[in-house]
Amino acid sequence: MFEQPFMRLALVASMATGAMLSMVGTYLVIRRVVFLGLVLASAATVGAAIAQVFAWPPELASIAATVATALGLGTIRSPRRISAESVMGWAYAAATAATVLILAGTAGADLDTLGLLYGNLLTVSKSHATGLVALAVVIGAVQIPFGRRFLLVTFDPEAASVAGVNAALWSLSLNLLIGVVAAAAVHEIGALLTFSVLTLAPAASLLASRSIRSTFAVSATLGVLLPCLGIAVSFYLDLPPGPAGVALLALCVPVASVIGRWRDTAPRPD
Amino acid sequence: MMNAAFGVSSPSAEAKKAIRHPMTADPLLTGRMLSLGYHGRALIRDLSFEVRRGEILGVVGPNGSGKTTLLRTILGLLKPLEGTVERRADLTISYMPQRERIDTILPVTALEVVLMARSARAGALQRIRGEDRDACRSALARVGGQTLSDQLYRNLSGGQQQRVLLARAIAADSEMLILDEPTAGMDVASEAAMIGFLQELNQDLNLTVIIVTHLLPIVLNLASSVMLLGARRVLHGPVGEVFQETVLSELYGAPVHIGTVAGKRTLVVDRPGGRDV
Repeated sequence: MFEQPFMRLALVASMATGAMLSMVGTYLVIRRVVFLGLVLASAATVGAAIAQVFAWPPELASIAATVATALGLGTIRSPRRISAESVMGWAYAAATAATVLILAGTAGADLDTLGLLYGNLLTVSKSHATGLVALAVVIGAVQIPFGRRFLLVTFDPEAASVAGVNAALWSLSLNLLIGVVAAAAVHEIGALLTFSVLTLAPAASLLASRSIRSTFAVSATLGVLLPCLGIAVSFYLDLPPGPAGVALLALCVPVASVIGRWRDTAPRPD
Repeated sequence: MMNAAFGVSSPSAEAKKAIRHPMTADPLLTGRMLSLGYHGRALIRDLSFEVRRGEILGVVGPNGSGKTTLLRTILGLLKPLEGTVERRADLTISYMPQRERIDTILPVTALEVVLMARSARAGALQRIRGEDRDACRSALARVGGQTLSDQLYRNLSGGQQQRVLLARAIAADSEMLILDEPTAGMDVASEAAMIGFLQELNQDLNLTVIIVTHLLPIVLNLASSVMLLGARRVLHGPVGEVFQETVLSELYGAPVHIGTVAGKRTLVVDRPGGRDV
């Protein structure tokens, strides 16, 4: 299966994006803002669509649009009468509509563009795969020293602020990190798989884990393993690899729920 | 000594080893001509006050009187509409929020929650050291939570979670402790123990305490001064001066009587149907 170079590149891209997305996605799920993942992935597609109109580099445009969205959602306070979730719903709908409308009015918006927007694991180039691995290393390197701070502002931002930590700034930095990762991943693995790894791997992990370390470890393992397994399944069953990975991640959540309940009720040694 | 109803034996000598803050006459915190509220609408107007070291200030008032607004302003989480809050430059504050404000989705142990106090005080790149862990275990022991250390915070009872949050607040070795409804959800024995414990902290460490609560008897028996927030005015002064039956009756819209039972002061409301207390 992996004798073909494109399959090896797909595997590398899948592992790198899976590791990054599941790691930053754990914060999204803990903060109960999974919809933010969908909004950021949609913002990436708007950036790519605008890049198509002006012939800009699509990756940079996507990252710029996602970072701008993360900054906007992080700094603009939601109106008093609707929830933050509603604001994100508005942002998602607006971004999706903008993408379709921009592309509808753009000459030459064809299947290649759709591939650019929604990704195709089997067409990842060597340079892109290398870029994803480099980004995954950077994200991991950021997580090691600053993970404790991210958890602090996630668990109790007010107490952190009182203790002198700039919770708003750390929270914004985390959103930016998630935005950059989501934008980079959307181009290679598509919005659906990006959102799924970002939210389902951490959700399954939180259901089954009983410590912070194991939450991040299990989330990363599922995020890396299941999309790769999706590639293998798609190869042998002649299915699209992205949705196959999503299906495996979706299946994983109820299984994790059962494991979590079993662990909660199982007698513990004294 | 720790009250047995708090669920613990007396803390060990090591558990009690903590920084005792020196006495000074200068105020730690000063509010000047404050107007407090949200979206330009003031809930409290022209409020001035001082909080001195070693004081236990109780903030009480009916629902909607602005207790939480005042608390958030003192904490620096909310800007006053007018006026200023001045803190002594090197003042360190610990905050114990209401238990319901803490999300329990994260699988953290009680000790990890307490460690967050040390982590917040340390630099972003600084690692948690063995002495930080020891200090946090001691803080847990002080509140009778030594057996909770390795248990998941989300699996603890409401009262146990309150204890862990209190341990986190004292683990930071701050000079001032600010508590928002610290006895919410506690049974009466645990509530009495919490009062005893706060008195002990105040006496042993000369810790300054600001406590926001609905429960007037707590303030009657614990606080040295009180800030009584009402619809039209704010009364601030020693508990004995502010807590007059006539004042409370007017504030809550029902006859309130103050009495003593078994050496503890308590309040009785004559009839239901007054304003929400």
